[in-house]
Amino acid sequence: MKRFGWAWFAASSMLLRSLMGPAAAETRPQYGGTLRIAMLESPGSLDPSDATQPDSLARRNLLGLIFETLVTVDERGRVQPALAVDWQAASGKQRWQFRLRRGVKFHDGSGLTAEIAASALRTANPSWKVFAEGESVIVEMDRADADFPAELALPHNSMVKRMGNGKLSGTGPFHIEDWQAGKKLTLGAEENQWRGRAFVDRIEVEMGRNFHDQLVELDLGRADLIEVPPETGPRVATEGRRVSASQPMELVALVFSGEAQSAEEKLLRRALAHSVERASMRGAVLQGAGQAAASILPNWISGFGFAFAGAANLELARREREQVRSAPNLTVGYDANDSLARVLAERVALNARDAGISLQTTTAAKSDLRLARIALPSADPWVALRGVAEALGVALPRTSGTSVEELYAAERGLLAGQRVIPLFHLPAEWAASNALQDWSPAADGGWRLEDVWLGKVAMGKSRP
Amino acid sequence: MAKVMRQALDSACFLNTNRRRIGPGGENGTFSRQPAGRRCYLFVVALFLLCLPRLAVAGSWNSPAQALAQKIVTVTGPGAVAITVENRSSLSKKDADAIGGLLRVELESLGVRPVPPQQAAASVAVWLSENPRAYVWVAEIRAGTAEPSVVMVELPRAEDGGFLRESAAESIRKIALWAQEERILDVLVLEEQTAPTQIAVLDGEKVAIYRMKNGKWAQEQNLAISHTRPWPRDLRGRILGAQDHLFDVYLPGVFCRSTPSLPLALSCRESDDPWPLVAPDRGGYSPAGRGAAVPPLGAFYSASRNFFTGALTPGLGKMTNAGKFYSAAPLPRESYVLWLFAETGGEIHLVDGVTEQAEKLGWGSDVASVRTACGANWQVLATGTGDGNEENGGDSVRAYEVADRDPAAVSAALNLSGEITALWTDAKGDSAIAVVRNRESGEYEAFRLGVVCSQ
Repeated sequence: MKRFGWAWFAASSMLLRSLMGPAAAETRPQYGGTLRIAMLESPGSLDPSDATQPDSLARRNLLGLIFETLVTVDERGRVQPALAVDWQAASGKQRWQFRLRRGVKFHDGSGLTAEIAASALRTANPSWKVFAEGESVIVEMDRADADFPAELALPHNSMVKRMGNGKLSGTGPFHIEDWQAGKKLTLGAEENQWRGRAFVDRIEVEMGRNFHDQLVELDLGRADLIEVPPETGPRVATEGRRVSASQPMELVALVFSGEAQSAEEKLLRRALAHSVERASMRGAVLQGAGQAAASILPNWISGFGFAFAGAANLELARREREQVRSAPNLTVGYDANDSLARVLAERVALNARDAGISLQTTTAAKSDLRLARIALPSADPWVALRGVAEALGVALPRTSGTSVEELYAAERGLLAGQRVIPLFHLPAEWAASNALQDWSPAADGGWRLEDVWLGKVAMGKSRP
Repeated sequence: MAKVMRQALDSACFLNTNRRRIGPGGENGTFSRQPAGRRCYLFVVALFLLCLPRLAVAGSWNSPAQALAQKIVTVTGPGAVAITVENRSSLSKKDADAIGGLLRVELESLGVRPVPPQQAAASVAVWLSENPRAYVWVAEIRAGTAEPSVVMVELPRAEDGGFLRESAAESIRKIALWAQEERILDVLVLEEQTAPTQIAVLDGEKVAIYRMKNGKWAQEQNLAISHTRPWPRDLRGRILGAQDHLFDVYLPGVFCRSTPSLPLALSCRESDDPWPLVAPDRGGYSPAGRGAAVPPLGAFYSASRNFFTGALTPGLGKMTNAGKFYSAAPLPRESYVLWLFAETGGEIHLVDGVTEQAEKLGWGSDVASVRTACGANWQVLATGTGDGNEENGGDSVRAYEVADRDPAAVSAALNLSGEITALWTDAKGDSAIAVVRNRESGEYEAFRLGVVCSQ
């Protein structure tokens, strides 16, 4: 494949556009209407700093409608101003100063101040030393971090104002009108948002809807935007629906519960890694979606993902297995509610058995390894790598380096620990109604719903 | 070879590719009117312009090729090495081949002797890859049974490749004026000879004045626009020449006025004054050929939306409200002016002050009329979905003539590289300013569009 990520993303955008028919992009956005979204997840809290909530792209996108961060990371991994207009580092990149944008207001009408911003960052990161200084927020760290601004773009670092009644107020394009935890969220367009009012008046999000129900709701015209599991994306698209995808932003991997305790255990893990037939799994299970991966970071983010070898080598796997004198019976766990994880875990177990490794699937909470689906937290490679390391419970050595070689070395170091066997990188996919206009998710899966608008369903050369 | 190219560029260059600014006549449409000798000269220059981004990038490959070769040799040492180069990036085959050639030259200069795999002491697989920020060149080095070593270098991606590679349309010609990351709202050509030599570029935060000097646009002034309220999304604005000062700026809820001459100052105030739908006469907008003069007409623009409210001043005949519309275009007739309003509901509203009718014409939201020497002397440019433009998914512009009340296309669609975010009649009235958001680069690109008669 000559042209990888960006070309692939452009191609998927073109596919989307061709499926849309003669799109109405030439029409200026129209204001009004209620955008209806259905999603699988059921987040119990909208507090960005609530660490008990599992991180996911869906949750990030919801939070992004309500809250904003000081900076953002764009599709090219560049840090861009948001609630901070500029920033500078001092003391060897251990002290960072972010100057706040003037005139930004929370949804309750109060202004964003440096004190509130500092308080929000302290709440999200109790170990940080954060304080206000004039119109700026200062963050001091115990070690240099050249990539710190990108970390501030993570949703848990959003600017949140905590009201006396326990409610939260943000500065994002939509304010909360109604919140039924885990069930339904209704958002209203914020009239005086500093980036300009969103085009739709309201967004209604139905949560906890399985994929089949979501598809029915889309087909019946009761939803404008639904999630599509990557493995069903091609079928959903060929049935005439508008399907669009992000770049791969999810890592599917086998994650061991602990460090390898002996040389034999390491060898067994290596044998398991060599036994996995990613290519055939991708064809049969994922229907060609996503990318087979032996790296933690997808190639479109790092540029060197292919340098990690991931081709199955059953012969080598058997040889390695034979060197292990007493191999234990292993169990691989998966989320019982995730049908894709179940099928993948079963295929992994099958491959393992071919190599002479005893591996049983289980939905029990405790297992020797689990099939994990980890949402990459950012398009910034360092932040993404740290996020995965955190999700694995492995410390990634802090480095002040920013070069691609240092990044490669860090990823290689993480993999050398043999806690994780990467399998696939998957995109997020959505299907949209014909009424949804200017819907173009970001490469990193960001919704950008503040820029969409609702047209009439009839499409074509004639105006809506 | 790259050095030679570089020197040639240094001597001939009038495009600063690093800053992604385009020189005059950078696209097409102006050369055929030049004398023969100058035409030849301009042809050569145009050829350079078309090749320039690639050549500039080629020049910048030397250093990373050297760096990668150094890193490879650090592992392999001098000697017989099998080398393969595979392109996994968006670089063209030609570019990749050139890089592969450069790399081989650098390796040889460091004592490496490229040989077939069976004769090699080590093998080097080089992949030309990329990530969103940079090109990443990766080399995997295998020697004997040892674990392979991986070394790599990165170099920033060129971001402006697509702008000059647009193909020409047959009847609507476009001339690139300016490109930038910030959303361009309008461009006013302040001075021109055969091509614009001074322009004012309006975006949401400033008016920037540029002058062509030695073949490059040089910034003369940057005038900040003050506003207290947030701009609406899909921000629109106009910059129009004025009689007793240089220009006026119209933005949602804000009006700015410049001083008469350089160095300029810009004073802005909150205002709901109507926006002129007819550019004030700056000595070039008097209607020529057939048709009545276009009397001034203003329209009120919503301060928090992206459309005109419909209220007109002084009105068209008895009509003082045309209904909410995105854009309007006058078409002078013998004894009256026919106005076309692109309404927010999607219809085109045709009004002459006495009668009115609404038509679903399948046009987009933006219309602009231009005075030409072709046909009925006046054409309407209307946006539309790209016609066969699936390759880049961009919008298009097509020219129409409106006989009586029936529009007929008089040009092929000019496909553009992205969504059209603005289309306004130019100050002189004989061309239009179109702003396109390039789908590949994300930059906003301003063009001047003119209708060229078919013969």
